[in-house]
Amino acid sequence: MSYTPPDAEVFIRRVAADPCCAAITAEENLGAAIVSRAPVVFILRGNGLAVAHDVRRIHDAGKLVAVHVDLVGGLRADRSSVAWLAKAGVDAVISSHGQLMPAIRHEGMTAILRLLLVRRSQLDTAVAAIGRSAPDIVEILPGVILPSVIGLLPPFEVPVLAGGFVRTQAEVGAALSAGALGVTTSSQALWGFDGN
Amino acid sequence: MATNAPNASPGRLPAVLIASDGRHPVYAPPGLDAGVLVRDTDLAALAHRVASDCPPLAVDLDSVAGLGSDDVAVDFITGRLGIHVVLTRRPQLAARVAERGFLGLVHVFGYDSTGMGRSLEAHPRTERIGSVLSPGLVIVHLRSDELADLPRPIVAYGLIDDVEDARACMALADAIVVRPTIAARLAAQLEASLVPG
Repeated sequence: MSYTPPDAEVFIRRVAADPCCAAITAEENLGAAIVSRAPVVFILRGNGLAVAHDVRRIHDAGKLVAVHVDLVGGLRADRSSVAWLAKAGVDAVISSHGQLMPAIRHEGMTAILRLLLVRRSQLDTAVAAIGRSAPDIVEILPGVILPSVIGLLPPFEVPVLAGGFVRTQAEVGAALSAGALGVTTSSQALWGFDGN
Repeated sequence: MATNAPNASPGRLPAVLIASDGRHPVYAPPGLDAGVLVRDTDLAALAHRVASDCPPLAVDLDSVAGLGSDDVAVDFITGRLGIHVVLTRRPQLAARVAERGFLGLVHVFGYDSTGMGRSLEAHPRTERIGSVLSPGLVIVHLRSDELADLPRPIVAYGLIDDVEDARACMALADAIVVRPTIAARLAAQLEASLVPG
């Protein structure tokens, strides 16, 4: 039976309701993510060619799955790998490649554009990429500095996830107060933290 | 008018690097231990700035249009142009700078802890090769073990856009990169703190 991922609105509502998502960078962290309260598991490393088994385990726990197509092993970030992940039952795909966003959406998955904050002179260009690629969500890294730089960013309407070096409840609260929909974190103590 | 002092000590790193595109003169404010970093420029503008009364102290080599990414380029920058602090993404070019007796700084990308660890894997970790932490503002959020793992000297570069953030970063880094307006405000604060109450 083929799997139909929830549409982006549902994905966004799940994160908004429970804003600390589990980012896993090693297979051994998957078990902890599955038993946590985190609504979404972000797979940032591992074998992209053998991801279907992990996706089933995560779905069986009632959670959603996002996979970083640029970072998992065995995949090239292109339309074919996006189709592969859709077939594996993935709910959302993350990439720094804006041109992949339409392909991700075409496959019925939530498209998450990863935006790397580097320098002030590059912020306009970065935000212009959001307009061009029309993702459902933008993940901003390093998310821990989002509260300091949000005022430097040109305005945009896409929901934001803050990822990278978010390791304390105070940092989660600051990111949410700065307007983030949620955070992605590898700090297990935060998985499922409600932000209050 | 203050000018940048010549490189009395090859590869000496001031506390503040003032970012410039090299197309307009930028001077270090009096009283601030500062030099100019040229980035996002082209080869002709860089050469022109070197010949001016405000020559750069440092250059972000990978962001100079027209300049190659090889030993010849490093030799030109450090020899002919006399710029003795070189920032680059390429560890082998930083090593070449160090071989010539100057300071090479390798970009380390601090977007998340896992990525920073991977970014550091390629660092040569030898004498006269330090780190450029990007974005620099993240330095205040690093754990002590992560900070200790960054080869020094550390330059915090990127999104340090107010004076309080700049001072916090200066407490942890060996140097920071800021825009001229922030450098001027830092200098003014420093001067004010020296005026007897």
